[in-house]
Parts: sequence; C-alpha cells; structure tokens
Amino acid sequence: MSVKREAVIKLFTAPNASVQTNRGDAYYADLYRRCEARLGELRAMAPKSRINLHEVLQDDGFDRRDFMKWASATTAMLMLPSSFTPLVAEAAELMNRVPVIWIELQDCAGNSEALLRSDGPKIDEIVLDIISLEFHETLMAPSGHQAEKQLEEAIEHFKGKYLLFVEGSIPVGEGREWCTIGASGETFEDHLLRLAKDAAAVVAVGSCATFGGVPAAAPNPTGAVGVMDVVKGKPIINIPACPANPANMVGVVLHFVLTGQIPELDALLRPKFAFGYRIHDNCERRAHFDAGEFVEEWGDVGAQNNFCLYKMGCKGPMTFNNCSIVRYNEGVNWPIGVGRGCIGCSEPDFWDKYAYERPMADAKLKAPFGGVEKSVDEFGLGMLAATAVGIGIHAAASAVIGKKSTECGEES
Amino acid sequence: MKTKRPFQRVERMTPTMRVIHWVNVVAVVAAVVTGLYIAHPYYQTFMADPAVDKYVMAWNRLVHLFAAITVDITSIWVAYMYASGDRHKPWMKLIPSKENVVEFFEVVLNIFTFNRRKKFDTTHMDSFNAFWFALLHLLLVFMLLTGLQMYVQGLASGESSIGAWWPWILHVSTDWTLTVFGGNMGVRYAHHLGMWATVIWTMFHIYVQIWRTIFWQEGDIAIAFGGSKFPKKRRE
Ligand code: SF4
Ligand code: SF4
Repeated sequence: MSVKREAVIKLFTAPNASVQTNRGDAYYADLYRRCEARLGELRAMAPKSRINLHEVLQDDGFDRRDFMKWASATTAMLMLPSSFTPLVAEAAELMNRVPVIWIELQDCAGNSEALLRSDGPKIDEIVLDIISLEFHETLMAPSGHQAEKQLEEAIEHFKGKYLLFVEGSIPVGEGREWCTIGASGETFEDHLLRLAKDAAAVVAVGSCATFGGVPAAAPNPTGAVGVMDVVKGKPIINIPACPANPANMVGVVLHFVLTGQIPELDALLRPKFAFGYRIHDNCERRAHFDAGEFVEEWGDVGAQNNFCLYKMGCKGPMTFNNCSIVRYNEGVNWPIGVGRGCIGCSEPDFWDKYAYERPMADAKLKAPFGGVEKSVDEFGLGMLAATAVGIGIHAAASAVIGKKSTECGEES
Repeated sequence: MKTKRPFQRVERMTPTMRVIHWVNVVAVVAAVVTGLYIAHPYYQTFMADPAVDKYVMAWNRLVHLFAAITVDITSIWVAYMYASGDRHKPWMKLIPSKENVVEFFEVVLNIFTFNRRKKFDTTHMDSFNAFWFALLHLLLVFMLLTGLQMYVQGLASGESSIGAWWPWILHVSTDWTLTVFGGNMGVRYAHHLGMWATVIWTMFHIYVQIWRTIFWQEGDIAIAFGGSKFPKKRRE
C-alpha cells in the first residue's frame, strides 16, 4: 500500500520542465559570492594536470578575445546573468582541478569522439581537453593491467571528489555476464556500481548511458538500461543526445566547478539549461511549420527552399534539446540545418518511438502482445472499421429479424 | 385486435441543452478535422503564397485549441446539469443500483436481440445512454489532459501571456501523463488514439439513436432537434 502511495506521490511531484530564467537579483548576488569563494578554494589547490588552457588555446589559434566571447556565450547558455562571465572564464581555467574518470560500457565511443574532435576543435572541446582526465580507456596511453592499476589509484586518490562520466548502456538482462571489463571479469553493472560509489556525481553522457539508447531498442537483447536505473543514492546528471553535445558536457562540468553543485535538472535528470526547450521552439524552419509549408519528399522544391521537415518525420516538436541554438562543430550547422529532421535522440526510447521518417500519425505501434506492428492511424482506422462492420451487421440483422418481435404488452 | 395507445409528447432537452449538443458536435468535428492535420498535414498550401500570408498550421492549431476549449466549457456545463436537473438528476442514472443495472442490460438486450420490449420507463433518459454519455465526457477529460501536456511543452520558459500560474497548473495537472503513457511521444499516441475513440463513440451514438427511433418508434432522434420525443402512453 505504502509503495503504491509512494509511486502516486512521485507521479505528481516529479520536477517539471519549466525553466526559470530569472531568479531575481538577491539570488544571483548570493550565488556570485558562493561561486567566488568556491573558485578561490579551487585556485589554492594544486592543478591535477599541468596543461595550461591559454597555452593550448594559443596553439590552436584562439586569442583572449575569442576565449572571452566563448565565456560570455557559455554564461548565457548556463542561464546566468552576464556579470558571471569572468567567473565562467576563470572556472574554465580551473577545470583541471576537477578529476574526471570516464568509463565506456555498451557504446560506440561516439561521445568520446564528439569530445575529442581533433579536426578544428572548438573552444568547448579544448576546454574539455584540459579537464583532469584521470582515466579514459580510449584516450590514455597505458592498457591492460597498467590501465587497471591507474584506475584503482585514481579511485583511491580522489575518493568522493571525482566526476564519473559514463558512456554506454548497462546490460542487466540475460547474458549480461558476457559484458565484462578487465582481467577479473567484472560485469559492466558491478564495474559501474563500484566506480559510482566513490564519485562526487555521476554524469551519463549520450543516449545509451542515459536511457539505454540504441542497445535498448526493441527487442533489447541485452536488457540494456541507463545509469539512473542502476546507480541509486548518488547525484546523477543525464546529458542525452547521440552524441551528447560537447557544449553541454562543458556546461555541466563548468557548473560543477563554479558552484560545486550539479545544475538544476528536469524530471529525466537532464540539466534544464540545455534540455529546457524543444528543438521546435528555436528551430529556424519554424515559420514554415506555422505556414504549413512542408518538405513532401527528399529533394523536392520544398527541400530546396528549407521548408519544415515535419512531414519527413521531424520530431523537433517533441524533443527537448538545445541543438537548434548551440548547434554542432563550432556552431557550423546541425541536423535540421542540413535538411533532415530531428530523430529525437535526446528522448527516452528514441530509437523505437522517434527515429522514423514519417509523422507521428504514421508511426508503427507495437501491439502489446508483440509481433504485429501497426501505424497509429491504421490502428485507429482499423477500430473504426470494426465498429462500422459491427453496426452494419446489426443494422442488417435489425432489418431482417427486428420486424418479427413485438413491444411488450402490445399485440401485433 | 390491435390495442392502440395515444402518443404523448415528452420534453427531454431544453433549448440550452440542444444548443450545447450542437455546439459540441461542431467543436468535436472541428477538433478532429484540425487534429488530423496537426498530426499529419494532409493537404498542401500554395507554394506561391509567401509564408507570412498562409499560416495554415497556425490556423489549424488555433481552431483545434478553441474547439477544445469549447468542448471543455460545455462539459463543465453538462456536468452541472447532470447534478442539478430539476425534473430528474441524470447522474443518478450512473449509480450501479439494481434498478439501473437492470435497465442498462435491458437496453443492451433490446439492442442485441433486436427487441422492442421496453420493460422500463422510456420517457426519461435510460441508464445505458447515461453511461454512454458519461463515457464521452471521460474521453474528453482524457483528451484535455493529454492535449494540455503537449501544449505546455511549448511554454517551457514557465511564462505565458496570462502569467506563470497557467503553465504551473498545466504541469501539476498533466505531467503524470508523461509517466503513464511513456514520454512525450507516448502522450501523443494516446491523444491521437483518443481521437479515434471519440469518432467511434460518435458513430455508435448516432447509430443507436437512429436504431431506437426506427425500432422503438418513440421518435428519439427528434430530441436533439425539437427537444421532445413521442412515446406511447404507458398502460396504467
Ligand atoms: S523542421 Fe522540425 S523542429 Fe523545425 S519547425 Fe519543422 S517540425 Fe519543428
Ligand atoms: S536535432 Fe534532434 S536528433 Fe538531431 S542531434 Fe538534435 S535532438 Fe538529436
């Protein structure tokens, strides 16, 4: 009973998606003081890595001005007043004080790729480069036992302080024992639980780590789930999308460096600064949506005129993410900008429920008993047809049989 | 020999009720027509017109939302009348009392055995119809809640033109649909299938009224137009 009550309470008290962009001067003045104090503490600490942000930036051809431009854009992205810009800039410089352990589970390393992107990196990626990455299987030089030793040392040394980044889903279904890490054959689940235990917070990056993503798509052969289904009792931040946008990873780390806290999250544990708005709310093709101007097929006149992609299956209206503002690759472009619809990659079950090139009404519904797939409209029309047939039969029968019976109390 | 009983005239729907009925009809049809467009734009706009002049999707959404508001308001009115009818209180027909259950199955039996034995008082609303109408209103509440959840997603800033209380109320009253139906897309499936359910409801409703009219010969269909039906006088 109490379990049920708990469930009901949870249902109606879950945090919602609305974003408070202005919390009032008093709040920000207080936050400013706390951030300053926090940065002072961090500055006093020895840097965990010797890389200097400004040297790296200079090597890549960015000057101080570029950096400050980036800092003010990032301040805006975090929904802080512009007076916070110097603090954000300083936090970026101090990011090498926060140890990060990055593990990969059932994944494609796409988020690591997004983070690294060596070809013309943007400042976000460079800033991420200087975080003190204590452990990252794909990026570090040591391997095998050496790597494992390094991991153990990092856990030991930074107990309770490190941010654990997780990429990839966790198999908990049948056959989970096939996914192991290291010589001791530790399963992914155990591995994650052990590392999460001593972390300050766990950051799930990419759709697989957050909601199971592609490995969890039907029929989900490995029983893949996201971090929040496995790790309990730790602050968890979800940064979904496929891949997660490096700008949002930086945002989360910066927020942590700046305030020592995790950013405000929505009901799905996604930071509201990045996932507070739908793609559709800030899409450059929105005017065509409202006008009813749609691309009807790939390459038609509408497509050439950048019409709305709704009829080609764009899921921007039901997807919360900030790609329409932040974009990818140094703001060069983003999926809808290049002329293909959003596939809702930052929403749970995106592969089954969002990633198809047709509008929702034509989506394939899985029957609860499995097997047959029907589109939403086909299903509805089917029910309608069944009703019509039923009525037809009844009407015909009425015409034939009905005449024979009588009203009670009345003789015919 | 045939025993002939005179017809009597029974007023069943006041002019207000009839207005509500037909306003509902128009609103539901409008909501279905525009809703189908919103879910899958099924006609195209003229290429040559500039986007600012057309606003086709926006108009469809506008009509859809106004239709929804209309139905919601009439529903509140209907709920009030259910509870406060002066002659008889229709909500009492929804109580599963013995009398009502018997009446309910009597009507169903009549329909499915093609009978016209009317072992109950047909001059006022029977419990089968009361149940069927209540079902529509439940369906409308369902459409209201799932629909408003989709709507509030566009008010993510937590502000609206009429103040912050509006999105707040919408979140509090509809966020649970996300959990129950499986996220943003699940709510959309549910709302869309709810539309088909409403169409099916309407089809059955119209059929039953026509069937009754022909079969029971009390002119039930006239209720929605003239407000009265014409059953034969019951035997004393
Ligand atoms: S392209 Fe997609 S996100 Fe953009 S307006 Fe159209 S439906 Fe919305
Ligand atoms: S546009 Fe949609 S599918 Fe593409 S990256 Fe953004 S959220 Fe993911």
